Amino acid sequence: MSQFRLAMRLLMRDGRSGELTILVLALIIAVTSSTAISLFADRMHRTMSTQAADFLAADLVITSSTLIPKAWLDKATSLQLTQARTAEFSTVLIENDELLLAGIKAVSNQYPLRGLLKTTQADFSQETVQEKGPRSGESWVEKRVLSALKLKLGDNLIVGEKTLKVTQIITYEPDKRGDLYSLSPRVMINDADLKATQVIKPGSHVHYFFQFNGVEQALSEFSQWIKPQLNPSQRIMDINDDRPELGSALVRAERYLGLSSIVVIIIAGVAIAMSTRRYSERHFNATAILRCLGCKQNDILQLYLYQFLMLGVVSSGIGTLFGWFAQEVLFHLLNDLLPSKVASPSLIASILGFLTGLVILIGFALPPILRLKKVSPLRVLRRELEPLSTSIWLVYGLTLSLVAMLIWRYTQDLKMTATIIGGGMATIAVSGLLIYGVLVQSRRILPRMNLSWRFGLQGLLKNPKASVSQILAFSITLLAMILSFTVRTDLLDDWQKQFPHNAPNHFVLNIFPDQVPSFSQQLQQNNITDVQLYPVVRGRLVEINDVPVKQVVSKDSQGERAIHRDLSLTWMDTLSKDNKTISGAWDSVKKGQVSIEARLAESLKIVLGDKLTFTIGSQQIEATVSHTRTVQWDTMKPNFYMVFSQDTLADFATTYITSFYLPDDKKNVLNQLVKNYSSITILEVDALLKQFKLILTQLTAAVNYLLYFALMAGFTVLFAAVYSTLDNRIFEGALMRTLGANRALLRKSHLIEFSLLGLISGFIAVLISEVIKYMLYSYVLHLTYHINWQLWLTVPLISIFCVALAGYWGVRRVVNQSPMQVLRDV
Amino acid sequence: MNIIETENLGKAVPTSDGLLSILSSVTLTIGKGESIAIIGASGSGKSTLLGLLAGLDTPTEGFVKLNGQDLTTMDEDGRAELRNQLVGFVFQSFQLLPGLTALENVMLPLELRGDKQAKESATELLARVGLSHRLTHTPLKLSGGEQQRVALARAFVTEPTILFADEPTGNLDSKTGEHIINLLFELNQEKQTTLILVTHDSVLANRCQRTIKLEAGQVV
Repeated sequence: MSQFRLAMRLLMRDGRSGELTILVLALIIAVTSSTAISLFADRMHRTMSTQAADFLAADLVITSSTLIPKAWLDKATSLQLTQARTAEFSTVLIENDELLLAGIKAVSNQYPLRGLLKTTQADFSQETVQEKGPRSGESWVEKRVLSALKLKLGDNLIVGEKTLKVTQIITYEPDKRGDLYSLSPRVMINDADLKATQVIKPGSHVHYFFQFNGVEQALSEFSQWIKPQLNPSQRIMDINDDRPELGSALVRAERYLGLSSIVVIIIAGVAIAMSTRRYSERHFNATAILRCLGCKQNDILQLYLYQFLMLGVVSSGIGTLFGWFAQEVLFHLLNDLLPSKVASPSLIASILGFLTGLVILIGFALPPILRLKKVSPLRVLRRELEPLSTSIWLVYGLTLSLVAMLIWRYTQDLKMTATIIGGGMATIAVSGLLIYGVLVQSRRILPRMNLSWRFGLQGLLKNPKASVSQILAFSITLLAMILSFTVRTDLLDDWQKQFPHNAPNHFVLNIFPDQVPSFSQQLQQNNITDVQLYPVVRGRLVEINDVPVKQVVSKDSQGERAIHRDLSLTWMDTLSKDNKTISGAWDSVKKGQVSIEARLAESLKIVLGDKLTFTIGSQQIEATVSHTRTVQWDTMKPNFYMVFSQDTLADFATTYITSFYLPDDKKNVLNQLVKNYSSITILEVDALLKQFKLILTQLTAAVNYLLYFALMAGFTVLFAAVYSTLDNRIFEGALMRTLGANRALLRKSHLIEFSLLGLISGFIAVLISEVIKYMLYSYVLHLTYHINWQLWLTVPLISIFCVALAGYWGVRRVVNQSPMQVLRDV
Repeated sequence: MNIIETENLGKAVPTSDGLLSILSSVTLTIGKGESIAIIGASGSGKSTLLGLLAGLDTPTEGFVKLNGQDLTTMDEDGRAELRNQLVGFVFQSFQLLPGLTALENVMLPLELRGDKQAKESATELLARVGLSHRLTHTPLKLSGGEQQRVALARAFVTEPTILFADEPTGNLDSKTGEHIINLLFELNQEKQTTLILVTHDSVLANRCQRTIKLEAGQVV
């Protein structure tokens, strides 16, 4: 106990003398960011898992793109299963001259079988739990529908051909999926009104969900009976094997945020390691005295571990508290991507953030502390005796496994973890060597410089290893920030640039065959010419040469994505001009032929002459591959993986699709179209782009928010490094002033030293960012790469300014202390 | 009874030119309550001998027995334990813990032993060296003479069997030094401690009962 009391006493003194400030700050920063992410991720997952129970809104659900046979429903009735049905589709709504692409959901009277709907008539604090959906003649909407269409409760809303009264605002919907598709604002109507909307016709793009509840045995029997009868576009889901997943945008957000927080942890870790090293060196003498007075090696270790543990507990506690506030900001930044109601922050996640703090501290501070254990008592007589350094394997092994553990926590993927660590280490090694090279080379110009420049540069060269760490810490932070800012901007700019002037900016889906002539005519009347309508039949590729296609594809390939969804199948006389033949010849007349897009063919290993089998609704058709071609996807015209010869698809329900250019001042044409053709779905490219931009902006804002923590951590590294040399600097400064150097000279040389530090950091950051961007744009994002000269100027300037200011402030004591005092103390 | 016994004690350190002997063939016995001065020029091996006798360092030849126990057969932790039980130190550069107050510094060796009366004993001894009014001051706020008085109190508070003093007046002016030496010998008398004093001050050495002179690592 006395050991603990002594530890606390020593800790208090060190704390008061400011010895531990940087260490504590770095730890608080690391814990704040890791707690924020931990809380964020936990709240997201708990939101999803609380919804898991009623995510299906039933015990068992059959999804289908068509109505299911009556025999199936009769079977369910005979097994005494209760039933409900929902139908989901997109359609454009127009009210008060405003257009909105909404996600309509028509629900039967029994919906929901599990879980509850929640609505409000005012704000979110006054929710009403609803056991059933809207009655016939009513519609319930999400709040943003009202604002987008300038409506209020009680107003009428026209869906297709049906006028419905808006009676409730939906605040919670049990079976809402988190995918991007469901980002369209919800309008819920009663199943009984579905027909009257006249939106759904054969061939329409609609998802049906047939929901069943009952005793387990009956459900199991029903499931067994149904399974063999399902066609490839139908799926059976139950609560045991279908859990909701985060939307892909959110999964990515969580991953990027997690990785950004690791950047923060690593940089803060460097500061922690540096300050602990200084701390341990400053405690060699005291330790030697303690050893002299009879403290055993383990007593020493215990004494310092107590101190660091207490330090960790206090700093992590503060960090956890800050992290709690920080995650609130994160939620605010990602507002539009999140469900309207999320689970509240949990204690366990906070504890996890807290423990992460202790692990970080031990991971980065243990090696220097272990060194204290080895201090010889003889040091009381011979000051020059220094303990052996801790094994380099232990130091790096400990840090690396800690970092690997943290990365794995966010990626949950061994390969990715290894890639990030490998790539990260390679980047650090290459840039470390580069910086070291620059520093060593600069030694050559040293003799030719004037005094203040020489002192400034010598400040960096005196301890090149510490200088490399400082520069690396800043470069990595700046690098992450540059990438986060520029990739977003480049991506959006490039996207917009890719659309040629007058390129189609609207897609229209779900035009029925009988509407085609009048629809085309109406476009022409509005001077929209050169418009081609393509027939579309939705079907799924199921077999290649009688072999199930699932056995052919490799995971995560383009082919895999294509076979897990319905494709738009079409036919045409002549192929579009931008389609280039790769092999075979196109014969549009001979029945049973198909032309396939070349890259998909390659991914699925399809060659000319292969027989492909498709499922369309409940029927199957076969076609022979007679042609492969490339497709220019970015023309904003409808393009197809599969083009069939004429008559091959003639027997199936068909809708038409087209795209056209509409200038901003003619947007009212859309209103006429929707009024005349209530079933059509209009996709406005600029609106989609806006949506995409919003997601990207919010994601990067959240990531940048964390990178500010990284920047703060970078400054703790700077200060840790400055303080580790401060005693020496003060002594040298005093000596120089005794020899006649004035304070201005010292100030100038400090300014030069830190400006150089900032300059090299900024320069290296831009250099590496350009390399990464080049690789990213060329091989992953397929954007044109341009050197961003503006960055080469601004980043080093900003870096010089910040680093010089902070460093200058850090060493102000050097010029302020009386040389007499300093030299006497030595 | 001999409290310290060495035979053929030597220390050699490796250098780039091979082993360098800094102390060799020291054989001596010191009885309980004796006061011994180790004198010699700088580099003659005084501090090395002190380090070996106190168990702060290990010899490369010969052995040291402290209170009958052979230090060379003990590991570092065993020697630490023995130091805590038997030995007190006074150094030229005081060697107080900068983070602790005068009182806490003096209490420290008692606390390491688990002594419940640490505070009382330490306060009493600080009063004995005339520092009752300085109990809560940290070393930085004390003058050199005051710091060395705290160090004396710390050395005597455990009532050690042997006290090692390494140039205790080396960092003090002559008047303060004299005051400290008087205090050291008074306390030594009161507590019946064996005193081993390293110095190059012949006046100080003369106050001890016996003098051991070192030259180039050997007793002369």
